[in-house]
Amino acid sequence: MITDESVLSIDGLTKVYRSLFTPVGVKAVDNLNLSVRRGETYSIVGPNGSGKTTTLKIILGLIFPTAGGATIFGKSINDLSVRERIGFLPEDAYLYEVFNGEELLDFYASLFGFSKQRRRELVEELLTLVGMQANRKVPFRECSKGMRQRLALAQALVNDPELLIMDEPTSGLDPAGRHQMTRLVLELKRRGKTILLCSHFLAEVEEVCDRVGIMYRGRLVAEGTLKELAGEPVEIVITTAGLDGGAAKQLAAREAVLGVDDGVVRMRHEYGDELWSVLEAIHRGGGRVIEVTRPRPTLQDVFVHAIREGVGPTAGETPEVVE
Amino acid sequence: MTPQLLFLIGLFIVIVVLTLTRKAWAPALGHALPSVWRIAKITVAEARRRRVLQAVVVLVVLILVSMTFFSYLSPREQSRMLISGGLSAITVFGILLAIFVAAFLIPQELESRTVYAILAKPVRRFEFVLGKYVGALIILAVITAVMTAVLIGVLLLQNQLVTDLPDSVFDPNIPGVVFAAAMSYCSVAVLTGLIVLISTISSTTMTVISAFIIWAVGSLQPTIHDLAENAEIPATKLLLRVIYTIVPKLANFDFRNEVANYLQFSYMSGASAIVQGIAYTIVVLILASIFFNDRQV
Repeated sequence: MITDESVLSIDGLTKVYRSLFTPVGVKAVDNLNLSVRRGETYSIVGPNGSGKTTTLKIILGLIFPTAGGATIFGKSINDLSVRERIGFLPEDAYLYEVFNGEELLDFYASLFGFSKQRRRELVEELLTLVGMQANRKVPFRECSKGMRQRLALAQALVNDPELLIMDEPTSGLDPAGRHQMTRLVLELKRRGKTILLCSHFLAEVEEVCDRVGIMYRGRLVAEGTLKELAGEPVEIVITTAGLDGGAAKQLAAREAVLGVDDGVVRMRHEYGDELWSVLEAIHRGGGRVIEVTRPRPTLQDVFVHAIREGVGPTAGETPEVVE
Repeated sequence: MTPQLLFLIGLFIVIVVLTLTRKAWAPALGHALPSVWRIAKITVAEARRRRVLQAVVVLVVLILVSMTFFSYLSPREQSRMLISGGLSAITVFGILLAIFVAAFLIPQELESRTVYAILAKPVRRFEFVLGKYVGALIILAVITAVMTAVLIGVLLLQNQLVTDLPDSVFDPNIPGVVFAAAMSYCSVAVLTGLIVLISTISSTTMTVISAFIIWAVGSLQPTIHDLAENAEIPATKLLLRVIYTIVPKLANFDFRNEVANYLQFSYMSGASAIVQGIAYTIVVLILASIFFNDRQV
């Protein structure tokens, strides 16, 4: 259940990468503000280089912000007790290559000070959860991409974290692997985990997330639930068959109709009252109505729109250079 | 007052201060020690699976065993040659292994990004650095112990073979060999600490190059001291003195010549080198932790 309690709070976060030998820096994250509530699945989406991974690395204390900061469970991100309660799935599953799944999970569990007996139980539970029992003895370097990603997820769950941070969890996976990972995320969500997920696979985000923040060139250009971001449907789409050319022209001339193309009539949504009249006109024109839909914009549409609105059509994908 | 006495007084003061303030640092240490040990254990376990280390150990063992083939020498010369050559092999391979183990410890974790999953867990950065160092120490201790055991085995075997010969004066000098090998390990431990420090601020390649330079300079410290004393240009004198002060005095750990030639030596000078080495290593590991703490990974 989603509550109003903020688990993660990012306030004015800015990160500028500077080199010792060049006077200019690259602004990877620019005054980012966002909050993740307990129990929700929040996704930061954006193209490569938009600052998603940089944001996650700052949250985890792997790199340091230039300005602003973040708190987790109301505490500083540098507080060691915070890390007892979070889990992190890095992009591309960076784990020790020479060990097998069982050994890896035992090691990561040991970092939380669990007893040998508890570690043994945990390893069993996690291997079962991620479907790796049969491959528990396979060295990590010999694992397929999907197996590696599942083991990486298992290591992020060794402490049964309240907040799970995932960086591109389905990156590089085939459709079957992606489906499997999405199922796992949904299962974790069902168990009440708060999840912060970075991705540029919009379909998976649409499937699992409660709220989405769209990042572009280090800035949060849009944020909200999918419904809020998508807004109301803008058109009614009527798919027809057998509509004659003259009737199609007459329909296209109506103010309520946006266009008629290959038997598909697109109506303005705000003229919904005229739907019956349009349907009658189609019938009179020899057409047969196959389907009437009110499609909402997809996350893909929202994403493209937000980037155009937020940054302007001339902006490139490279981060901003600052003096 | 000698530098050694001053050092011992300083050490005594540090121990008293640490004892009096133990309530402040003991809880943190209670968390740190298990974490350090876990990182050390995984470092050792990872190294055990790497074939390169095993291959190097086999190579050194073969070199030591092959030394028994010099049977045309007199027994006395044989024992001298075996001890000198064996200890040199232990020292050189110990240092080479230290350079290649320590130089990759942290940079490899950064390059393979395995450090992400560790630092995202309740592990402090200094615990990670110390864990890696302790892991390297254990690996190098095991390798040194194996090499020393093989050398002792070779010496005892050769002793057995030549005792029946007339006027045999073959002396395996086992206590001396063990002492010299232990001192060689101490120099490796000091160098490893310094390499870990360098690796926290530079790339693997730069670390390896720096380590070789430090090894060379550290082994020539008495010469550098003499050069500094005799230098006429003030800038050169200052530079040499700085080098002499900063670079660990690895030559102080070298007892190969004394042991191989059955010369008298003082165990106290060895103990003094060890105490100075420990102090030096503590300082470089504190610096390594500070640098790694500020490093963006």
